[in-house]
Amino acid sequence: MKDVESLWDLFQKRNVSRRNFLKTCVTITGILGLSPSLISDVVSAAEKQPLVPVIWLHGHECTGCDEAFIRSQSPFASDVLLNMISMEYMDVLAAAAGEPLEHHLQEVMKKYNGKYLLAVEGAVPLNDDGIHCMVGGKTFVHNLKEVAKGAAAIIEVGSCAAWGGIQAAKPNPTKSVSVSDVVSGKTIIKVPGCPPIPEVITGVIMHYTLYGQIPPLDSKGRPKQFFGNRIHDTCYRRPFFDSGMFVEKFDDAASKAGWCLYKVGCRGPETYNSCGNLRWWNGLSYPIQSGAPCIGCSANNFWDNDPFYNRMPNIPVPNTIVNADQVGIVAAGALTAGVIIHGALSTIQHKKHHKETHDTEKDNE
Amino acid sequence: MKRVVVDPVNRIEGHLRLEVVVDEATGKVQEALSSGTAWRGIELILKDRDPRDAWAFAQRICGVCTTIHSLSCLRAVEDALGIEIPKNANYIRNIIEATQMVHDHIVHFYHLHALDWVSPVAALKADPAATAALQNAVLEKYNLNVKGPIEFDTEAYPKEFPKATTVYFRSVQEKIKKIVDSGQLGIFSAQWWDHPDYDVLPPEVHLMAVSHYLNMLDRQRDIVTSHVVFGGKNPHPHYVVGGMPCSISMNDMNAPINTERLAVVDASINMTIALNNYFYIPDVLAIGEIYVKQGYVDGGGLAKERVIGFGDYPDEKYSGTSNGDFHKNLLLRSDGVVENFAQGVDKAIFYPFEAKDLSDPDVLTEGVEHSWYDYPEKDKNKDLHPWDGVTNPKFTAPKEGSKTDWKYLDENGKYSWIKTPKWRGKMAEVGPLSRYIIVYTKVKQGILTEPTWVEKMMVDQVDAVSKMLNLSPEKWLLSTVGRTATRGLESQVMGYISKYYLDKLINNIKAGDTSVTNTEKWEPSTWPKAAKGVGLVEAPRGALSHWVTIKDGKIDNYQAVVPSTWNACPRDSKSGYGAYETSMMDTKVKIADKPLEILKVIHSFDPCLACATHLYDASGRKLTVVHSDPYLRL
Repeated sequence: MKDVESLWDLFQKRNVSRRNFLKTCVTITGILGLSPSLISDVVSAAEKQPLVPVIWLHGHECTGCDEAFIRSQSPFASDVLLNMISMEYMDVLAAAAGEPLEHHLQEVMKKYNGKYLLAVEGAVPLNDDGIHCMVGGKTFVHNLKEVAKGAAAIIEVGSCAAWGGIQAAKPNPTKSVSVSDVVSGKTIIKVPGCPPIPEVITGVIMHYTLYGQIPPLDSKGRPKQFFGNRIHDTCYRRPFFDSGMFVEKFDDAASKAGWCLYKVGCRGPETYNSCGNLRWWNGLSYPIQSGAPCIGCSANNFWDNDPFYNRMPNIPVPNTIVNADQVGIVAAGALTAGVIIHGALSTIQHKKHHKETHDTEKDNE
Repeated sequence: MKRVVVDPVNRIEGHLRLEVVVDEATGKVQEALSSGTAWRGIELILKDRDPRDAWAFAQRICGVCTTIHSLSCLRAVEDALGIEIPKNANYIRNIIEATQMVHDHIVHFYHLHALDWVSPVAALKADPAATAALQNAVLEKYNLNVKGPIEFDTEAYPKEFPKATTVYFRSVQEKIKKIVDSGQLGIFSAQWWDHPDYDVLPPEVHLMAVSHYLNMLDRQRDIVTSHVVFGGKNPHPHYVVGGMPCSISMNDMNAPINTERLAVVDASINMTIALNNYFYIPDVLAIGEIYVKQGYVDGGGLAKERVIGFGDYPDEKYSGTSNGDFHKNLLLRSDGVVENFAQGVDKAIFYPFEAKDLSDPDVLTEGVEHSWYDYPEKDKNKDLHPWDGVTNPKFTAPKEGSKTDWKYLDENGKYSWIKTPKWRGKMAEVGPLSRYIIVYTKVKQGILTEPTWVEKMMVDQVDAVSKMLNLSPEKWLLSTVGRTATRGLESQVMGYISKYYLDKLINNIKAGDTSVTNTEKWEPSTWPKAAKGVGLVEAPRGALSHWVTIKDGKIDNYQAVVPSTWNACPRDSKSGYGAYETSMMDTKVKIADKPLEILKVIHSFDPCLACATHLYDASGRKLTVVHSDPYLRL
């Protein structure tokens, strides 16, 4: 018996045309940020690779990552859930509750042992034997370890699962930790963000289901295609940073002109995420574009990297695009001075712009 | 007699466990227990943080009603520091809040609640042509004919409209059939699809509703487009203390907000109004009417006795909440308590509830008799005002099973991480139903002599539905169906509220005001040495309050009293049962092993258990580990 089907098998079973199947592959190629020349690879992957059953568990979380998951536009949530993966357990959307749902989970774990993808949302509280998060009458840490055993790979969805998140911030009253702190011997993909960009969540899942292998990861376990650069590297306000044109305080003339937010605390220069290129709502905006400094929500321990409105003292390499692994090698401290001088110079630019804006307003009158 | 456990409760936020004892002969629920089974301690984590950062922390209490906690937090911090936000910021925050309400309600109805009423399996028996005809009939019949005060009517024709063709419904049905035949039911697996209640609705209603389930799953994201424009993302958009970070300019090419950005928000609000008017309202009324006419009017529970609300949507800017200014020009004056609505609106009793009552130790208290916390010896058996509350977590074993492997919890002992909040020593229900009961009572009893357009619309909706059902309001409102229907009615109102504030925003920009942030008190050096504030919000699931004490520029004490705490709390020997437990005991269960009716009535509250709350002593003693209500949320 064939337990797991390929996407093409599924399309055939559901009488969806070859044409629609190919269209889906083209869409998927786009979502994954792959070159159009790779469409044929995607088609062949979708034909041959098994359709992966997914189990999605919840620990200490706020359900913001589920909400982000269903906000995905390409692919649409309905297409992911009904045509692309087999979401066998996700209590937020599951029709069933309680014992029948838990029984179903056991069956799925048995039937697809070693083949299912485990997505975990939320941190793992360890304090007092783990009783600060009970699911189905058992501790979450117990359930997690049990389900992890048979997983082909694990995705830590969001900063709570990936790093411990907000409940792990000082003083961490529940002794919460990340999934990888309690599960070992498994391939773990970190998809941090509070929450992650919707298309990043679905993109990672799709990559795995199509190629049957995890996407290329950086040294911290994050998919390079979504976390390969800092937000700063592709930020559309970067030219203002390079020109020393900064917002000094909220809603000043520079805020209206959309200048760089570094001096009001923006974490873009140290945060690895796709906000600068994918943006939210398929390119509509991201916090910086809406005038708000990035709080670094995909970075480890960002909650304790506060206060958020203080400007970052250690900005690595102001004018160079680097990935996280390279930054590890660089002595960031040596470069800090340049950035601070850079910030100081901006005051001059700022005054200049203020005068110009003022003049423009006069012209309009 | 049979004891049935439902854990985990599905289609909610957070972790909830229910235990009911059912008399199998009569279907009566003899005993019902609601337990919040997780706790995160966010309030504890907020201590010693910069108050300007607090919104981001508080926001993570919940990602479903995302933004609601940050709004309540900002209002509390701004109240404490005496910061008056600019007009535009008030309008923008109201747009974000109202669109969040619609989003929350629509996702709840279609994705968290619908599968208690409709079944993909039953949809297979439908005739697609009859379903198309039904869709047309539903659109004709269930139209409430309400309209908000839209100044700039920018939409030429409804862009979102239900498809009512045979071909469409046949293709959806074929798709469902393939899924069912494949045996890979995914999220539809393992439900009690053979439960007799799935036969209450004709197959065509099932097919129509399942189609809309899928349709809305893909449309819901567009409802909160305003969050992405004004706050950069969703869930968890960005704010700033003193207003909004999204500066407005028509003079700069790179401004966060310009005409094009407002057009994006406008299009999304137009679509939102259409989703309410052509999908949500007709669907909820069509299903509700069938249920009510077949006599399903149970599940009212605590709403029959007492409901509470705080009021929301400041029409213009206000100087603070503690000083009473917030309550002076609200668009939705659901502040107050109503008792005895079950006897009819004339016999209902109204009590005012104002901002000052929130800090009165005789008005608001919390008990821990059945919560996993312990008060110190001197306060044993007392109820404490949250500011005075000092509680140590005290986990006690379940009745059967072990600490880490429960069989049954102990209803006679402690059994939940949720505390028990009380109004003047009594339990009260919160939520859309409560807001409707309060506004309806205040208007009909002449307490609100000049109702706002929002309040008029709410009364008109209730009267229109009562006429349609040929029942007086208390006969249908106080039930599972009524709780679910008022959420839909409220969603319709919220669509118009977001349009109303967008109009106001545009008019204010037109008048030359582009300010979005008041930075006069941005620097901590401008703050008083010690300050205290409260922020109120009518959140999707009911009345929400956040409390903050600031000392030497840092948060000294933080606390949230959350809607799901009011509703999901454990019982109390003096005050009786909370809303969840009362409603379960007011519900008949046909098959003890398949308590679908219990899921239905609990889902009608839209449970949100996300947040565990820890409080500590406001008098400045070292953060005693306290807590208030572990589980919070809206």
